[in-house]
Amino acid sequence: MKANIGDRIVIRGHRVGEPDRDCEVIEIHGEDGSPPYLVRWGDSGHESLFFPGPDAELEHYDRAANGV
Amino acid sequence: MRVGSMIRRSGVAIRGGQSIEEAAVIMERAGVGALAVVESGRLVGLVTDRDLVRRGLARGVAPDRPVAALMSTPVVSIDADLDVREAFALFRRTGGRRLPVVRNGAFVGMLTIDDLLINVAGELADLARPVTAEVVFGDHEPAPADSD
Repeated sequence: MKANIGDRIVIRGHRVGEPDRDCEVIEIHGEDGSPPYLVRWGDSGHESLFFPGPDAELEHYDRAANGV
Repeated sequence: MRVGSMIRRSGVAIRGGQSIEEAAVIMERAGVGALAVVESGRLVGLVTDRDLVRRGLARGVAPDRPVAALMSTPVVSIDADLDVREAFALFRRTGGRRLPVVRNGAFVGMLTIDDLLINVAGELADLARPVTAEVVFGDHEPAPADSD
């Protein structure tokens, strides 16, 4: 996984009925966009290190479309 | 099969100075029951939802206290490049349900008994398929070439 700051990571539910989770990449601690990432969880403002597994999907943040 | 290839879920880690309340919220948001505790990338402990209840809530520990007060340390971990049979042995020896996975001492993910069970169940299903087919549909071994 190669992420950029501002990208969103979605963690798919592991069981039927379990909701997807998501967080925002705020720092990249690996080389060249590689994990681990410092992420922020939703609107809670809480931060943790995140080590993506096979259940994680990356959604790139489109800076141009968002005027950044 | 290497330990690292058996991890099925993303790993989440916090620093020991983050609060107990933060740990609980992150567990809930991330949908995990255990957090690795790391300092400068190095694994220093493990805190589970059970720790938050039994070592924290049940003993009246304030939620703004550092999570390091509740974590298990030192923690048994396994190298990502070891054969998965080493993980089976460690689970048997420690009685735990989760094993932090490290590479060169740095935390890289969490291996759970569920991960291994799912893999073993898949392998058993692969083995059972031809046997089941033979029992249900009979022996379909081709006839010898010289038979009429």
